[in-house]
Amino acid sequence: MLDLSIVIPLYNEEESVAALYEEVRAAADGLGVDWELLLVDDGSTDGTVARLREICAGDPRVEVIRFRRNYGQTAALQAGFDRARGQAVVTLDGDLQNDPRDFGLLLSTLDEGYDVVCGWRHDRKDKMVSRRLPSMAANWLIGRVTGTAIHDNGCTLKAYRSDVVKRARLYGEMHRFMAPMMSLSGSRCREVVVNHRARRFGYSKYGISRIWKVFLDLVVVKMLLGFTTRPAKWFAVMAVPFLAGTLLALATAVYIDLTVPPGGKYSLVFPSITILLAFASAHLTILGLLSELVVRVGDFKASDVVLPSLAGAVDREPSGGRSQ
Amino acid sequence: MRHVRVHGDRRVHPDVSIVIPVVERHGDLKQLHSELAAELSRLEKSAEFIFVVDDRLRGAVPVLRELPERDGQEIVIVLMGGPFGESAALTVGLERARGERIVTLASYFQVQPSGLGPALQALDEGADLVVGRRFPRIDSFFNRLQSRLFHRIVSRMTSTDFHDVSCGFRAMKPQVARELNLYGGMHRFIPVLALSHGFAVREIEVAQRTEDRGTRFHGTGAYLGRLLDILTVFFLTKFTRRPLRFFGLLGAGLFAMGFGVDLLVVIERVFFEVALADRALLLLGVLLMVLGVQTLSIGLIGEIIIFTHARKVRSYHIAEVIRSPGSQAALTERAGTERKIARVRNLR
Repeated sequence: MLDLSIVIPLYNEEESVAALYEEVRAAADGLGVDWELLLVDDGSTDGTVARLREICAGDPRVEVIRFRRNYGQTAALQAGFDRARGQAVVTLDGDLQNDPRDFGLLLSTLDEGYDVVCGWRHDRKDKMVSRRLPSMAANWLIGRVTGTAIHDNGCTLKAYRSDVVKRARLYGEMHRFMAPMMSLSGSRCREVVVNHRARRFGYSKYGISRIWKVFLDLVVVKMLLGFTTRPAKWFAVMAVPFLAGTLLALATAVYIDLTVPPGGKYSLVFPSITILLAFASAHLTILGLLSELVVRVGDFKASDVVLPSLAGAVDREPSGGRSQ
Repeated sequence: MRHVRVHGDRRVHPDVSIVIPVVERHGDLKQLHSELAAELSRLEKSAEFIFVVDDRLRGAVPVLRELPERDGQEIVIVLMGGPFGESAALTVGLERARGERIVTLASYFQVQPSGLGPALQALDEGADLVVGRRFPRIDSFFNRLQSRLFHRIVSRMTSTDFHDVSCGFRAMKPQVARELNLYGGMHRFIPVLALSHGFAVREIEVAQRTEDRGTRFHGTGAYLGRLLDILTVFFLTKFTRRPLRFFGLLGAGLFAMGFGVDLLVVIERVFFEVALADRALLLLGVLLMVLGVQTLSIGLIGEIIIFTHARKVRSYHIAEVIRSPGSQAALTERAGTERKIARVRNLR
């Protein structure tokens, strides 16, 4: 087993890959560990792949994973995690904005006993209105929903313990909230301030435009983590308002029945509503039992979602300087 | 005994496998075969013909046994144990195919065999799947109308742009055949499914045959079946990994409608003194809300199934893994792949 796997998703980064490889190699060699570099080509349409082949041919520590088409950054990271053989996994952007010289800081923080170490681009070199403001809003929102306040979820420069990240299941746009998601399942997260540089080549390919999908995913993930540990309970909770409605409708029906004058018109609306709502609450309860069954026969283990007191715990570094 | 396949063979793979499902109806198979065989000889391709015969058409087997076998061309006949339909027949045929290229064809005269060359060439040029489009259409007006309508719906629902998915003529690389999982009526959506797997799909125009021009009327059941198939493909290609997005949206919409209706009724009760007990609309509102929550909860079940069972369902497809040729990992990996292939062969 290697010490370190470096995963870099690339999408149309023709100009920067060569410089990126040199920087990463220099930084990783400086650490004095056994490392591998996983370059994931996310369906690039420019000359990225040709450049990657050249890099690969000269260095056996480099592996290029080429996707059939563009699947997005989350899938690219997942592919890297799936193939990573190192004990620690570090991810970074392919656009040279992250600084590979931060590897040492990330890894030493990881060694202090954390599962995830997130980079925080304290002095971010991006446009204020189009990039930084939406990102601040998204981070605030993610923090509110998950209870894991991280300043900079969008920073790809992160380090993970391999056994933790290999358990994570990513889909949709989840790369945007790796840390909150993993802390929901009991991982210990920490933020460190990292260097950030202005873009030298090309333009940004991954925007924050899909923020609503992010939000939806987040709610689903939070709910799922609760659901999969006690599915029947949560379906029963969903059934409660319907049960209350049933009783209310029943009471109304009985009341109307008692007060209707002899020979008067009798309405079937409330008895029907009673039946309908009773049916719905029964249906939900039964579905809850079904979901218990689904979870039991699945490959899901409780250890995937350890939710003890550690959940949501983030040790934040005092803003300002970077500790070494 | 030409229909008995020798297992574990070490022979060279043929250039082309021709898979012909004989399901529903078939033309003069002898002529069909001889035309194709001639075309393949002209292209200088070694080939194997795989006829998969549905149980209902077992009468075709004696004819197929009599087919003359040319040099470098093999004939395999597979008789299905029951009336399992075209998707199943195709799956069986594709599993047996060992060619470097695999071509599927209808068992009746649909397109001119001259389309074979261009299709194989398109594969060499980088396409993973080539689908035929009968063009220009020489069918009756009614045929073209129903086909046009069907494809309009398909392209709208799946955001693809294919003009003739029902055409039985397709050429593909073995990788595509391995990954397609066909059942029910899914064979009609092979290009759509392949596209969602990240394969490069190309549509080429092939000349339609005059024998294919007769007007075909289908029963109501067939049309309803098609619609259901479209809905299935729509759901599978877009929401396999995120069922809650689909059911959640649907359920939330229904719930909102029901809530709106009931709100209206209650407002009328409070401000205009319309007695609730007289309103059937109240019932409709409750019904819609219940339906909404049920749809939503079904979606939740779907999501739980994916979350707890689909560890292996990946959100990406890898085209290739590139390594420096000398690296240790590359060597072990290659050996592993070869072993795996050998094991898969033995299972067949």
